[in-house]
Amino acid sequence: MLIMKKQLGRLAIIAVVTILAFFFARFDSFLYSAPVGQVTAVKQTSQESTTDEFGNQDGQYTQNLSVKLLNRSGQTVKIQNQVMASQTMTTNYEVGDQILLKEYSGSYQIDTIKRDSTLLALVALLVTATIIYVRFKKTSFLLLSVVLNAAVFVVALVVDVHVKSLPVVLWFSLVAVALAALSLYLVLGRSRQAHITLVATAITTALAVFVMWFVLLVTGGIGVHFETMSFVTQVPAPIFYAQTIIGVLGAVMDESADIVAGLFGLYRESPHRPFKDYWQAGLSVGREILGTLTNVLFMIFIAETIPMVILMLRNGNNWSYILDQVMNLGILQTVVSALGIVWAVPVTAGLTAWKLRHQEEEAAK
Amino acid sequence: MNSICVLIIILLLSLMIVGGQQGLKTFLGLVLNFFLIFTLIILVNWGFNPYIVMAIISLMILSVAIYLSAGRAKVMAIAWQSSLVVTTVVGCLSFLTQHFAQVQGYTLENSDELEGLSLNIGINFSHLVVIVMVISALGAIAEASMAITADLFEVIERSPDITKESLSEHAETIGSQILGTAVNTLFFGMLGANIPLLIWYLRLHYTLAEFINAKLLVMEVATMLLGMIGILLSIWLSTYMVERRYQKEGRNLLDESDV
Repeated sequence: MLIMKKQLGRLAIIAVVTILAFFFARFDSFLYSAPVGQVTAVKQTSQESTTDEFGNQDGQYTQNLSVKLLNRSGQTVKIQNQVMASQTMTTNYEVGDQILLKEYSGSYQIDTIKRDSTLLALVALLVTATIIYVRFKKTSFLLLSVVLNAAVFVVALVVDVHVKSLPVVLWFSLVAVALAALSLYLVLGRSRQAHITLVATAITTALAVFVMWFVLLVTGGIGVHFETMSFVTQVPAPIFYAQTIIGVLGAVMDESADIVAGLFGLYRESPHRPFKDYWQAGLSVGREILGTLTNVLFMIFIAETIPMVILMLRNGNNWSYILDQVMNLGILQTVVSALGIVWAVPVTAGLTAWKLRHQEEEAAK
Repeated sequence: MNSICVLIIILLLSLMIVGGQQGLKTFLGLVLNFFLIFTLIILVNWGFNPYIVMAIISLMILSVAIYLSAGRAKVMAIAWQSSLVVTTVVGCLSFLTQHFAQVQGYTLENSDELEGLSLNIGINFSHLVVIVMVISALGAIAEASMAITADLFEVIERSPDITKESLSEHAETIGSQILGTAVNTLFFGMLGANIPLLIWYLRLHYTLAEFINAKLLVMEVATMLLGMIGILLSIWLSTYMVERRYQKEGRNLLDESDV
């Protein structure tokens, strides 16, 4: 009963912090330079049903919104909003929703709904729960590494945007190594363990991306449609390689870290072991994680394609066309990540076993 | 020959060589999950209630993920129960997130890929958001609860007279390790996947306010955060369940004769 009470208390703290975070961000409109408004009344007018060329039935209606300006004089303005029932592009507003607005010569238009309070609430939920569960000391480095990594990444992107004719793949490879080094040294300290993990991660990532490049070269890239990439502002293929490098790195890094940690633990227990012992132990640690990571990555990729696939299906496209156009690059990237995850096991086990043997021979001299 | 097919064959071979039988099971699991999600898409497209379809398919995906991995029957039972509860919680959180943040569908940035498509397709995209969030988190939830439960059983087996306090300490160490791995994987995955979108925002000189309220980005970040929350909750709940059963049953917990 006591444990149960303790757990309930912890959950209550998390809930309170989350809700506080949510409401805190609802009062931050003074931080915005753009006008922010809150919907005070909604009147729905003119409803009609629509049918498109594929026979899909949908509804369309107009909302007359009264919006109180929060970070302006506090006056209330009227805004019209068109909504489709399927809400593919449009948003249905309710009383209490906060909206970012755009001002054009005295009249206001809706920019987008204000989402910072939801985001802040989720972050607060995650951070409080982490701190309560694993105590601050252990998690602080993890949180710090996430924040620093995000900062490095943003700088990398800004450089990519501002430097003309930048070698994109090379640049993101360097960024990837920097990100990996940053998180590994923060979590593991400047130790041999961190060095070996970093080298193993770099080798595996390079190997996986190299094999992808090689296969694309040999097969002439048949069945790969770089032109289907969304939000293209520069040549798509190098950006795709950059994406793959970062994605593979994230999956491989911690897998390698786990394997290296396991083998170092074995070494500390009793250092005099043959290469084969370490190799076998490394493989068995790796096998356990391998399925896990592949599955996690796969589910994330496939979940993200669901809305687009349904949109395409309802537009009368067949599955083979959808696989080709919507899922193509996602499948390629997932397969390459999975290759990285699988190969990280022998690469890390071999490298660590070799290093540990080497270390022992040095000590024996 | 199709490049992606070649890479898939290389993957299958590598899985078999490195992972042996377990590797083959992993591949089988991927194929099964693919078909389950395929079914989900078809059913939703036919107009079945998206939440009910999601609940049923999620249950099946969870069962595949857990019962396909090798392990003790009790480990699987605990992992299954805890991931079921956590998935329900994450589902509710996803619903709330979507309700407040309205991250469904597309924006003007998608104009290129939406060109020529009819958008009035009669399926409510806000339901699809919840589906995307839950399915994304499912894999991570199942695997995290499986990993921590199996590790804790191993700890109990190895140290015959382990106290409850010492077990909690072990749980915390193992748990934070699993959490660290998963958080980094999801985080880098999210960063990598969104390079084009982020570059797009930067090139168009989005302000900070537009950045943190942008529909497409918030959708991605919220999905990632919900996945991390799911992992943390499943580590927490699985630990709690193992500890409670250890306290109640003692070492009989390891006894498999009753299952």
